[in-house]
Amino acid sequence: MVGKIKAFWNKPSHVAYLFVMPVVLLLIVFRILPMIAAFVCSFFDMDMFLVGKGFVGFDNFAEAFRDKRLWNGLWVTLKFTMVEVPLQMLIGLALAGLLTKNRLRNRFFRAVYFMPIVCSATAVAIMWRMFLHSNVGMMTYWLECIGIKGVNFLNTPGLTFYVIVFMSVWRSFGISTVIFLSAMQNVPRELYESAELDGCSKIRQFFSITLPLIKETIAFVLITRLIGSLQIFDLVLTTTEGGPNYSTETLVYYTYVRAFSNNRMGYGSAVSMFLFAIILVITVVFYARLYREEK
Amino acid sequence: MHKKTKDRLTDLFITLILFAVALLIIVPMVWITICAFRPQKELMQYPPQFFTSNFTLQNFTEIARRIKIWGYVKNSVVYCLASTIPSVFLNSLAGYAFARLSFKGKNVLFIMILATMMIPFQVIMVPLFLEVYKMGMYDTFAGLIVPNLGAAITVFMTRAAFSMLPRELEEAARIDGLSEFGIFGRIMLPLVKPTIVTVIVLGINGAWNDLMWPLLITSNTNMRTVTNGLAMFIDSSLQYGTAFAGAFISICPMFVLYIFGQKYFVEGTASSGLKG
Repeated sequence: MVGKIKAFWNKPSHVAYLFVMPVVLLLIVFRILPMIAAFVCSFFDMDMFLVGKGFVGFDNFAEAFRDKRLWNGLWVTLKFTMVEVPLQMLIGLALAGLLTKNRLRNRFFRAVYFMPIVCSATAVAIMWRMFLHSNVGMMTYWLECIGIKGVNFLNTPGLTFYVIVFMSVWRSFGISTVIFLSAMQNVPRELYESAELDGCSKIRQFFSITLPLIKETIAFVLITRLIGSLQIFDLVLTTTEGGPNYSTETLVYYTYVRAFSNNRMGYGSAVSMFLFAIILVITVVFYARLYREEK
Repeated sequence: MHKKTKDRLTDLFITLILFAVALLIIVPMVWITICAFRPQKELMQYPPQFFTSNFTLQNFTEIARRIKIWGYVKNSVVYCLASTIPSVFLNSLAGYAFARLSFKGKNVLFIMILATMMIPFQVIMVPLFLEVYKMGMYDTFAGLIVPNLGAAITVFMTRAAFSMLPRELEEAARIDGLSEFGIFGRIMLPLVKPTIVTVIVLGINGAWNDLMWPLLITSNTNMRTVTNGLAMFIDSSLQYGTAFAGAFISICPMFVLYIFGQKYFVEGTASSGLKG
């Protein structure tokens, strides 16, 4: 009997189910179900103990459309994404282009550029909060030395937003650089050699050979960075908490405030649906294009 | 001769640009390291000094007095190891099945797993929190770890590694009478070691730096991780010296991991990007 069971489960086409089952179950329970539940929750009024008015239909969405702080969060998030993503990708492309050859110098700089990625948002926030501190910050002092006085990096609406953008680029441009770099190293060398013979300059080669050939990688980095930037949360929490005057309050941070600080889980879910809608549109557009091109 | 000088100048110019970018990273990092070991009263001084000759451990004793920083470190270590090792095991098991075994519904299941990669964590955080809370795992290690064990990206990466291995391997092993699990554990898994190390390194780093989930699912100060405990601490009182010491403690282990595992960090990042 035991032998039979063993034999049954040792058939490759049977044992495969045992192999994939744990992960499939985990992903259904902790990813797919919550995704469905997110829609359901957004029609309810409840706190974390599931106590509240219960089903309220579209009330949460009606409130959301009138919620000025939500529109502000949406605008901050979109503005952040539109500034951060191109900036990070341009820096990544330029640096990858300069670092393509496997020389000792390049290996050293690659290692340095990747360093911030291993740091947590909390450490990055502490570092820059102190470095840009309005009284005893090193940067503020250096600016004073060259005559720029009274800059308050972390408490000036308009400026603080760009400090968050800078910190975000600072933390993760190494990722784009590394991805572009490995794509560029896969470009066949002969192409450059023949371009060299034709007298093409290095810059010309970069724009006419390298960039077109790594198009797919650029598209991939663009989509992942867009989706990542739209979810910016940790740097905001640890650096400004949305301030000054809500000028850095992103959509996810606002969702967090409503759902967890104010304990309104239903409304928080409704707010997060706005983020979901944006990400869904981007993903669908991207994959639709990819699909068409492949055809 | 003329061309050579020009090339040299261009090269020097490029090095200068690269160096300037590197300074942007190195300067603040060196600065917080110095500040972590600098007396508190020197930190309040105006004008601030970059270097100092007075070194002290006062900031570290002070932060340990204010918050249970070493307890946070312990929690972070537990969170990192307990979420990464079982996760890599389970996900590579699935990755292996998708790469080497044929079974009904394989494609449907694989597409389903891939689709979960598209679900933004921030969108499901509220229901996921409610679910884990209702399961009674609020403020427990189980609540921290179990929801993140399934990781589609790991299935994806290990599947790619397993499909590169030659077909004859399992045939020979089956003739030798090894069980299917034995083939996976004894023969296949050791052959994809670089990929496994890569996903472990990336997993440990991800868990150590994870802020959102520990923030939501723990409230007891005894359950906090370094990243989330420090975030709560700097939020309540920005004590300069102690904040520096905290940041230093939070960066150090990952820095060591990076020095020894740089290759894996870079390869993992590059390959997860290229396969998309």
